[in-house]
Amino acid sequence: MLGDKAKTIAALREKVAAYDTRPALADSETTAPNLLATPRGYLHEIFADSPVNTGAAFGFALAQSRTMLSDERPGLLILGLKSDSQELGLPYALGFRSFGLDATAFVLIRTDTITELLWAIEEAIACRAVGAIVADVAYAQKALDFTASRRLALRTAASGASVFLVRYARDREATAARYRWLVEPHLSSSPPFDERSSGPPRWRLTLEKGSLGRKAGSEGEKYLVDWTENGLVLANIGNRDFARSPVVTAIPRTAPAALGNR
Amino acid sequence: MLWEKQRGAMSLVELDAAASALGLFIGQNLSDARAIVPLLDAHEIDRETTARIFADLADWHSNASPIVAIVTDISPWGDLVLDITGVSHLFDGEAQMLKQLEGRLSGLGYAVMGSIASTVGAAWALARYMPGQVLAEGNEQAMLRSLPVAALRLETEQVESLKQFGLKQIGQLYSRDRHSLQARFGTSLLLRLDQALGWLEEKITPRLPLAEFSVERRFPEPIGLIEDVLLTAHDLAVTLSVQLERAGMGAQTFHLFLYRVDHKVMTLAVNSARATRDAAHIGRLFSYRAERLQGEYDAGFGIDMIRLSATSLNPLGATQSGAFGSDDGAASLDTFYDLMSSRLGPLSVLRPVEVNSYIPELAVRLEAAVAPSPSHAEEPPPVTRPRPIRLLPQPEAIAVIAEVPDAPPSLMVWRRVSYRFVRASGPERIAAEWQHASLRLALTDSAIEASQGEAGAGFYHEGRSTRDYYTAEDEAGRRFWLFRLGLLGIAPEPRWYLHGIFA
Repeated sequence: MLGDKAKTIAALREKVAAYDTRPALADSETTAPNLLATPRGYLHEIFADSPVNTGAAFGFALAQSRTMLSDERPGLLILGLKSDSQELGLPYALGFRSFGLDATAFVLIRTDTITELLWAIEEAIACRAVGAIVADVAYAQKALDFTASRRLALRTAASGASVFLVRYARDREATAARYRWLVEPHLSSSPPFDERSSGPPRWRLTLEKGSLGRKAGSEGEKYLVDWTENGLVLANIGNRDFARSPVVTAIPRTAPAALGNR
Repeated sequence: MLWEKQRGAMSLVELDAAASALGLFIGQNLSDARAIVPLLDAHEIDRETTARIFADLADWHSNASPIVAIVTDISPWGDLVLDITGVSHLFDGEAQMLKQLEGRLSGLGYAVMGSIASTVGAAWALARYMPGQVLAEGNEQAMLRSLPVAALRLETEQVESLKQFGLKQIGQLYSRDRHSLQARFGTSLLLRLDQALGWLEEKITPRLPLAEFSVERRFPEPIGLIEDVLLTAHDLAVTLSVQLERAGMGAQTFHLFLYRVDHKVMTLAVNSARATRDAAHIGRLFSYRAERLQGEYDAGFGIDMIRLSATSLNPLGATQSGAFGSDDGAASLDTFYDLMSSRLGPLSVLRPVEVNSYIPELAVRLEAAVAPSPSHAEEPPPVTRPRPIRLLPQPEAIAVIAEVPDAPPSLMVWRRVSYRFVRASGPERIAAEWQHASLRLALTDSAIEASQGEAGAGFYHEGRSTRDYYTAEDEAGRRFWLFRLGLLGIAPEPRWYLHGIFA
């Protein structure tokens, strides 16, 4: 009797989720170790103000995509244009370790043109073992217009793979992406005992588009987060005036679950 | 008639039958020849082009027999060898086959002489001096007896000296003492003789890779559209996969040969990350590969035969799909990498591999996902310090200000923008690897390399090629991975580079 009830509830939850193009509630509960985790199967745009901040935006994309990988969807793809590799730097496998990713866990796809890049993203979404796709689009591209982003958004929703377009621009064009982030690096807090060296990476995130749910906030919300061994950790939430706020020591809010299981 | 500049004179090197009939000969002076035949059609020889065109022609002959080679002993073109073992019955016997192959070449306007024999040497001799023969095995000695010695593929000097001794026919060599022949005319004479008579085996090197499994289709009417070609490729893949399945094999490389009527061959090759015999997958790989062709595809006057071959074979057992299969998605990822590689090129889809090296740019190698190298036994060294998530392929020189010995700089200028550092950690000292002493470190730009070249640096030198890495964070929180090349006090002029960017 009790089992029947649980089954009915699970079925209802799936139905609701299907109406809402959101993953099942049970799913989002297990994959959301912190407030900033987003559900699977969406198109994200991650902006940086300038190419110099490439590291922060790319790091945030990796941090997000880390939670998208699962046993059924182990594939992580990093895409980029060949012509950008010297300017932006090539993804370096050994550095991925600090994001809880195995150094050989990803595959790098480099294309000659933006059209090929978009085509490759679309093909990758269709592959059912791909969990996350991080694409360096860098500068404003004509080919990546609203129609193209709408295509990608619909495809991600249909398949369940997540796409992160890492972009470097000040202007924002119309997009069909469900989430849009602005990532800026922020001076980190130095670890205890060594004031001169840097602590864990700290980013100032602005959620420009999309909603993370009632607890975490919606459009326009700003966060100051640290990337620690426990994943993304809010350094200071609720205080919107970062410019005047002192750097606050990170308060771990989550259990080290997401990184430990792989 | 073709001529070439030889030792300052313009001499004739190649003649056709009409020219020899007029009394011209190879080695003659061009002006002499012009005096004899005023309206001589003379062109300077272009050896490379001729060899290339002849190679194309040779490849085209693989539609008759899979083993095609060029005999380059006398000249890099002109002598084509086909191994027709087990093929001739397709042409209604050897004599018919010879007639057909010669006929289609003369139809294209080539002067052609051919013969069939059981050894390469005998066939060569007959084609040159008694064309049109089909020699049964065992008759070589009798048949070659009356041919001139030049039929043995000898050097000109050898032929000349044999003539001086009165040895003009091959038959005269049979009964001679082999030791004295070797002493006077060299080992190659005996070698050629034995090869021609079948006493010594002669191997030919096929021009195209030999495939254990291949299927082909001939068309009564030549086809031209790429869509038709791909459709045929898919049909052939179905046939091939049946063959492979029967043998319990899968292949990693597939070649598609398109034989054009105007004697050219186009080849398309695709790779697969794991051995496969899935016809739908093979067909899709070729259609993706064809998209990359675009303008290169040229069917000429049409394609009259298509062959699909499989190489790099591996045993591939039958797998049960469904019920008990553990589907981890790895197979669909590999399929995806195959498709990407066939469309974007194999070097566009890369997988990082850790290498046993401390030097950052050598520690990770990117290799094609479809052509993985065998796994290495050597364990990569442990990395204790954090590494950047982006590494510049070529470290960029930076200007630093307020340099202190053994400490990171307080300010750097990179790409004309200055960054003031507030936090830094390091150094992490990474020395050049003495076992790669002969390797020039691939990071210095050309200007520095030139200046170092004078000092003999750039190669392994303990003090000069050691790097001290620092992680530096600027006021805005950007983190960079910098290094100083060369130890202070030892290197004449330590330089600073930016190598990576942290998250």
